[in-house]
Formats: sequence, C-alpha cells, structure tokens
Amino acid sequence: MLSLTWVRGAIGRRAWRSVAEATGIAIAVALVVAIGSFLGVAKRSMTARSVEHVAVDWQVEVQPGTDSSAALETVRAQAGVAYALPVDFAATSGMSATTGSSTQTTGAGVAVGLPADYATRFSGELRLLTGAEGGPLLAQQTASNLHAVPGTVVMISRAGLADVPVAISGVVELPQADSLFQTVGAPPQAQAQAPPDNVVLLPADQWHSLFDPIAATRPDLVHQQLHARLDRRLPSDPAAAFDAATGAARNLEAQSAGSVVVGNNIGAALDAARQDALYAQVLFVFLGLPGAALAVLIATTVMASGNDRRRAEYALLRARGATLTIVTWLATIEAAIIGAIASIVGAVIGSLAGRAFSLAWSATAVLGGTIIAIATIAGPRWRDARRASVSEGRLQADRVWRHRVRVPLAILVLAASAVIFNRTSAQGYNLVLAPEGVSAISVSYWAFLGPALLWVGAGMLTSEFAIVALRRGRALTSRMLRPVAGELAPTVAASMRRQRRLLARGVVLVALTAAFAVSTAAFNETYRQQARVDALLTNGADVTVTATARAGLGADLVSRVQTSAGVGQVEPLAHRYAYVGADLQDLYGVRPDTIVDATQLQDAYFSGGTARDLMSRLAQTPDGVLVSAETVKDFQLQQGDQLILRLENRAGGDPIAVTFHYIGIAREFPTAPRDSFLVANTDYVARSSGNAAVDTLLISTNGTPAASVAGGIKAIAGTDATVSDITSARQIVGSSLTAVDLGGLTRIELGFALVLVIVATGLVLALGVAERRRTFAIASALGARARHIASFVWSESAYVTIAGLLLGGVLAWALTHMLVAVLTGVFDPPPEGAAIPWSYLWALLAAALAAVVVASTVSIRIARRAPLSALRSTV
Amino acid sequence: MTTHRELVMCNDVSRTFGRGSTAVVAVHGMTCQIAPGDVIALTGPSGSGKSTALHLLAGLDEPTAGSIEWPAIGSRTALRPGPVSMVFQGPSLMPSLDVLENVALPIVLAGTSDRDARTIADAALDRLGLSGLRDRLPDQLSAGQAQRVAVARALAGEPVLVLADEPTGQLDRANAALVIDALLTTAAATGTAVIVATHDGRVAARLAARWTMADGRLTVTKSCSA
Repeated sequence: MLSLTWVRGAIGRRAWRSVAEATGIAIAVALVVAIGSFLGVAKRSMTARSVEHVAVDWQVEVQPGTDSSAALETVRAQAGVAYALPVDFAATSGMSATTGSSTQTTGAGVAVGLPADYATRFSGELRLLTGAEGGPLLAQQTASNLHAVPGTVVMISRAGLADVPVAISGVVELPQADSLFQTVGAPPQAQAQAPPDNVVLLPADQWHSLFDPIAATRPDLVHQQLHARLDRRLPSDPAAAFDAATGAARNLEAQSAGSVVVGNNIGAALDAARQDALYAQVLFVFLGLPGAALAVLIATTVMASGNDRRRAEYALLRARGATLTIVTWLATIEAAIIGAIASIVGAVIGSLAGRAFSLAWSATAVLGGTIIAIATIAGPRWRDARRASVSEGRLQADRVWRHRVRVPLAILVLAASAVIFNRTSAQGYNLVLAPEGVSAISVSYWAFLGPALLWVGAGMLTSEFAIVALRRGRALTSRMLRPVAGELAPTVAASMRRQRRLLARGVVLVALTAAFAVSTAAFNETYRQQARVDALLTNGADVTVTATARAGLGADLVSRVQTSAGVGQVEPLAHRYAYVGADLQDLYGVRPDTIVDATQLQDAYFSGGTARDLMSRLAQTPDGVLVSAETVKDFQLQQGDQLILRLENRAGGDPIAVTFHYIGIAREFPTAPRDSFLVANTDYVARSSGNAAVDTLLISTNGTPAASVAGGIKAIAGTDATVSDITSARQIVGSSLTAVDLGGLTRIELGFALVLVIVATGLVLALGVAERRRTFAIASALGARARHIASFVWSESAYVTIAGLLLGGVLAWALTHMLVAVLTGVFDPPPEGAAIPWSYLWALLAAALAAVVVASTVSIRIARRAPLSALRSTV
Repeated sequence: MTTHRELVMCNDVSRTFGRGSTAVVAVHGMTCQIAPGDVIALTGPSGSGKSTALHLLAGLDEPTAGSIEWPAIGSRTALRPGPVSMVFQGPSLMPSLDVLENVALPIVLAGTSDRDARTIADAALDRLGLSGLRDRLPDQLSAGQAQRVAVARALAGEPVLVLADEPTGQLDRANAALVIDALLTTAAATGTAVIVATHDGRVAARLAARWTMADGRLTVTKSCSA
C-alpha cells in the first residue's frame, strides 16, 4: 500500500519528467525491436528471394546402369519432394536448316527430351518467345543461327545414324541454361564455361524414338536427369534453410546407394543467401548497435538528470525512518513501472517501424529496457542510502584519478582502433569468412573492434575536450559569450566552467548522435549508389538490348528502340572478339564522347585517370585501345605501345590484323563478362574490320521504370535480341543483400537518428534547465530579467550544440571512412569514396537547431514562469 | 499620515490562490507602511501567509485586491535588482558560482560592470567577515555560512529594503544568531529597512517592531515607534 501511494505520488507529481524518462527508454527499446524485427523479416525475405528464381530445385543425375524408373520412384518418395519428372539429354553433332535459298549449319549441340507437362511444372526453365509449345522447340540463339522460325524443318545429326528432320513448333529462351546444362556433381572449376549454343527441345516420346538407338550404340552420348521440385517448406533463416535443403539432398544420395547424384540448385541458391544473411547480420550490428547504445545512453542521461530531485525526496523518506530495503524497494518499483510501460510502448513502436513482430526481440528489449530503468533510477538511490562520508571522500579521490588517466586512455583506445582498422582493411575487410571447401561460414568479429574502439575512444576524448575547453578557456569563453550575455558574460562563463561535466555530457551526446546520423546516412547513400553501380556494371545500363544473331542488331530495330516509350539516351556498342597474342578477348567498340553519361561509367573502372579522362584520351586517339591490367602485365605493355590485334572476321575467313595503340587500363566495363577485355573506338573497329554492326544497345531511361521500358522493347525486338533491365539484374545477378535489405534498415536507422538528434539536443537541454528551475527562480528574484536568464540558457545551448556538432562532424568523418571500408567486402569494384547525402544532412542540422531553439525557448519560459512556487522548493 | 518617504504602502491588500471552492486566501486585507530604517519581525505560524506577504512587499507577486505602492522607489519594475533585495529560507546561492560571484550577481544584473561588481561584492564580504570564503562554491559551505553569504548578497548592492523569509529557519541557534547579527549590524550602518519573517521568538525579540500574521490577516503587534 505504501509502495503504491509513494509510486503514484512520485510518478504523478512529476508527470512530464516521467514522460520524458519513459520517452528515452521507449526510443531505445523501439530501435532495438525495429532492428531485430527487421532482421527477421530480411532473413525470411532473403530465403524466399533466393529460391524464387530457382526453376528446378534438384537435378538428379541418374548414374549409368541404374534403373531410371526405380530412381524416379525413389526421388518421388523422398520427403519434401513435391513432384519429379525425367529429362533426357543427347549430344548431336550438329543441326542444319534451309531457309529460302540458303542452308545454315551449326556445330555440335544438345537435344533435350521433355515430358509433356515439363513447361508447366518447371515454368522458370523455359520461356516461349514465338510459336507454340507441345512440339519441337529451338533455343533462341539456335533459331537465330539457323534463321529458323516456327514451321522450319531442322535436320538433327546423330552420331553414326542418319540425320532426322523435325518441324519446329516454337522458339524459347532458356533463362537458366547454365544450371540446366551443368555437369552434375562436378566442382565449379570443372563446369563448362558457357551453356551449349545449339539446343533443341523435343517431346519425350519423339526424343526416345530418335535417340534410344543412340543409347544402345553410344551410351556415352546420352544421359538422364530427374528434375524435382521440393515443397519448399523451409526454415525462414537462410542458413537453416540451406542445412535443411543440403541434408535432404544428401539423404537422397544415401538412400539411393550411389545410383544418383543430386545437383542441388536450391542448396546453391541458399548457400549464397546464407552468406548474404550473415553479411546482413553483420551490417545490422555495425549500424544498429551504435544506435541502440546511443539510445540507451540518452535514456540513462534523461533519467539521471532527475537524480538530484529524487535524491532529495528519498533522503526525506530515509530521514523519516525508511530502511535501506524500503528505499531501494520503492525506487525499484517506481523505476520498474516507468521502464516496463515505456518498454512496451517502445516494443509496439519498434514492431510497427520494423513492420513485423518478433516475440523474442520484443521480450528481450522490454526486459532490457526495464532493467536499464531500474539500474538508472534505483541504483543511485541504493548507493545514496548506503553511502557514508568517508566513502564519499574516497569517491572524489577516485574521480580525480579517473580524470587524469582518461585522456591518455582515450588516445590509447583510438590508437588501438586505428591499428586494428588498418590491419582488417589491409586484408580487404572480409567480415564474412567462407573458406573454400568448408561448408561452415563465420563472421570475423575481430573486424568489429576497430569501429567499436573508435566509438568508445572518441566519446571519451570528446568529453575530456569539452571539459578542458571550459576549464582552461574561461577568458576565451567569456569573450565569445559577450555578444550573447553582455556584462553577464564573465558570470555565465564561470557558471559554465563549474558545470563543465554536465555540459560535457551534453556535448558527447550531441557529438555521438550527430556522428551516428551522419555516418549512417553517408553509409546508406554510398551503399545505395554502389548497389546501382554494381547492377549497372552487370547489366550495362538501365536497359540493355543484345543481338542474338552474329549479324548484330538491324538498323530498323535500332531506330525503333530509340523511339520506344521511356527511352532516354541510346548508346550503341560493337561487341567483337579479338586475339591478343593467342588469348581471345572481348573487344568493345564505343563512342567515347557519349558513353560516359549514358552508362554512368565510374572512375573505379579505370586506372591512371578518371572515366572521363580515359574516354577523352580514347576520343583523341582513334586507334587507341584500353586493355586490362592483367593484359598489360602479361604482355609487358608500355603506354603508347603498338598493339596488333586480330579481330574476328564475321564475313568468314581468317581474323583481320588491326594495329592499335595502348593508351590506358580498363579494370571493369559494363556488360564485360570477364576481367580481360579491350575497349576501342567503334568507328575505328568498324573501318578496320569492315563491319559496322551494332551488337548491343545501352539505354538510359527518361525516368520511366526500367522494367516497363524493357517490356516495351522486348515487344519490338522479338527473337532478334535479348532485353535485360537493371531491376531484374539486381534481383537475379546481385545478391539478396543488395537487392532488398539494407534499404529498410537504413530507413529505420535514419528515422531514429533524426529522433535521437532531436532528443539529444532538445530534450536533454530542456530537462537540464528544468532541473535548475529553482536556481533560475532565485536569479529572477534577485532581479534577473528574461534576457539575463536567456543569456545563461543560450550560452549553454550554443556551447553544447556547436561543440557537439563540430566534434561529431570529425567523428562522423572517421566512422564513415570505416563503414565505407566495410563495403569493400560487398562490392566489386569497391566504392571510390563516401557519398554524402547533403539533403538529409541539411534536414538533420535544421532539426537539431530547431530542437535547440525550441528547447531553449521553452526552458527560458519554464525558468521564468512561477518563480514563487520554485522558491518554496528546497531542491 | 504618510509621506513620500515611505518605502512601501499597502492598502487593503489581499492575495487569493485558486478559484471557487478551492480558493485559498493567503493574505487578507493587509494594510501597512514601511519607512526607511524600519526593522520589523513578521511572525506567525507556518501557513499564516508570511511568505506571501513578503513576496507582495517585494513585488514578486501581485495582489488580487487592494494596492501596493513603493513611493520612495518607483514602479514595481524598478524594485529589483537594486532597491529591494531578499534573503530566502533554504539554500539560495547559485551552485555554479563561487561566493564572490554569487554576491556580485545582483550588482551585475543591475548594470554594473563585472569588475566593479566584484569590488563591491568583495567589500560586502569583508564587512561580514566572510572574505575567507570568497572562492568557495556553495556546496563547500556550511548552512550557516551559506546563509550569511546570502545576507551579504542581499546587502551588497546597498538596497533600501531587505526582506528576509525565515532566514534562520534551517539553522541552529548559534548560526541563527550570526546571521541575524550580520543582517542587523549592516542594516543599521546603512539605514536599510529590514523585515524578517520568522516564527522564532528569540529572533523576533531582537527586532524593533513586530507584525503578526494569523490566517492571512496582519496585525501590528509592536510598532517601530513603540
């Protein structure tokens, strides 16, 4: 009963202070819950996204001599398998087709036999471009090579048997040709460089009638796979899902006693996702932990600012006979009520911000928030109640000792941070360790130490700097305050000097919060920019059109693409092959005057100058060529060296020798599949090789979504070209990490950063002044006018804000540098530097200043209002 | 019969807090005058309205009925800092300023330069024998020392009227005597009028006149001329 009466009075009498304390706790809990919930959602999304594009979960290779019907039954009976179909493969020695007066012949190819419902069951494996399913289908490139359309009769060559005609019913794209034609069970380095160029897909019955005779005579030319789709009831965590999928595949292999080998496509996709998930987890910790720690720091500061008042109230209780146990119990109840209510509200806000509810995260955060409240409110009461004068004296001595060692300690911590950071960044800042040949992946927690020590060291040094500046710089402070405080400046300076620890705490909060907000925003911007650069490098541009025929893109198609809806700039690219010595490399013919803007060429793609510099050099040297660093090293090239390349001769015959001059190094180039390639002037390439064909169009959109523009162009291009867009490239080629997750996290982080900045500047200042209400009331009673009170408040606000923002800016610079270094492990090429989101930073600064102005103005009003009631108070 | 030399003239002054059924009349129909050099004890039990009366006389509060004038000083806004100063019951020194700065504060607030204010404050501390404490912070003083410094602060600007609200309320007898000594001695030397609210009979007995408050009503028990 006493407890309830006391707590009702303690909380109710200081309702606004209680609300402020609860706000601090709620923000800390909300941030933790939001990040935790979001991490759960992100992982679930990574799992779903990674398997989304897997057309065939398992490609089960039936070993020679195995009864395929029995193997199929085994697969179908395996737990978790939804359905499975047999797929047959046969090697052909070539195909030919006669169209009009010409006959086209291809090299060796593959004939695939598919059951009737394969296209429906494994819809991601093939996409009909033209014609109808149900009959023989040609792969897009094969149709191009043979000039075949639906209705064309294609002759298929069979080893040792007569050629057989098949009438083509449709042309399809094979989006996952790499995995479809993989060598099941072979290690990555033993896989084919590229899928076969010539592919015909036959109904199963037709395939058997044509190739069963081959199986009898040349069994080495045919093989069978069982394509299985799993029910995909996977754990939401990618690592657990990977374990489940891998375990199931191994179980099948064990049950079939070696008669089948599983090509675990879903496992491979989840393997990549689990690494991404671990990286995401690392980034969440990198970005989230400082925010959560800061929120806790602010919450404890808000609560600690009421300690004097509480100390007096509990001292009165103690003086009236309350025992140590009662005092501690009452303080604990008061703290627990504030902490629990605030934590529950924070958990609700956090779940809404993270757009998910996680019981584990919410419960942990609520418990943590309540414990922090108890430790901050009840802890000091327990200490006060126990403290004797001798121990207090000892405490003072301890403080002096601590103060003396803090600066050297801070410098030591910062030096350790720099050393550790240099060591980790020298090794490429690989946070997620996935050693080759080892299935387990892990996080290099060592890498966290650098930034963590920077936070700690910078916080300590900021505090000491703020203290020393006020202690030693009284005369300077006084001079600087004169425009604000007038004749009162020396008094205000003296007052600030004596409150240096309190003010230093404010400076530290503002500095750390500003550093957190700025570094997170810069990291986010750099990440976003780099994800786009990554996708642009892979896809080439917003939309890329690539010719399927060796003749390149027709002039009519190019002009129709240029006028297609949503198309901005169109940059033609000639893609040839050229021999450098005996090494066959990709050669890209470009227009150096226009390509920089069309494809956003990055400086990091080149060496020895910016992208613009290198393109300008190429424009001034018609026979110039940019080569890869590897080629420069292998062929010992010097700037200006003559380089004779042998270009492919599309008219047939021997390659054409063309003289170029080496003018610079290109490390990366849009659409370039390998690290070794060449970049030259398109006009020179066309003139020298006698072929002006355009093979690729790099298209920037006019703001219309890339996928929509690509859809329009696909309708125009038909089977003559493949069309890809940056959005799809990001989803398919890029990792799930770059595709979805960080955006949501940083939105939460940036939102909370803004709130923390406002709380750190506004609420903490306002509470500090509110706690000195009686002091200001006495000053008013002594004759202080509003401007006098204001000069105290504004001087303190200005010091905390300006010193905090300046020191925070320095820390933000260092933290941003560190965080961006983390991205070297995510992106190739790594970011050139931090991207600064100026609009967010200006908004942040405006919010901070507005919070200071509002808090100071309100504080002055509080200090001036009802001085008589404050005069009667004893604290 | 009054003259323009009166420092304060109160005519049927009342101060009511709250409204309606919850209204509390702290001061009811107070009529009084204070002349230069008056030394008055304002006595009465706790809650009788002594503090409210002092706040009204100091211009810190406004009456809800009646009128107060300060003929020898001027308008209410001219009272502080300068002509009227106060000594409070509890700790009233600015914790972030040392003793000298605390004493100098009202003088600086009155527009004197910081350097001159320090010189004046130094002299005031000297007069009260507190020079040895000039560099100390309030939390390094005993309660008695802090209250004597508060007296020094109240008198440093040479006010014409000092209003002290239970200045010895939290002090032991010896310290209370020191504070009252400091107040009376300096007031006598400068001709400053002093009103001390107290419910300590020993303190009241040392003052020339006595006003008594009971349920918000003021009675002149013993006048200055008596």
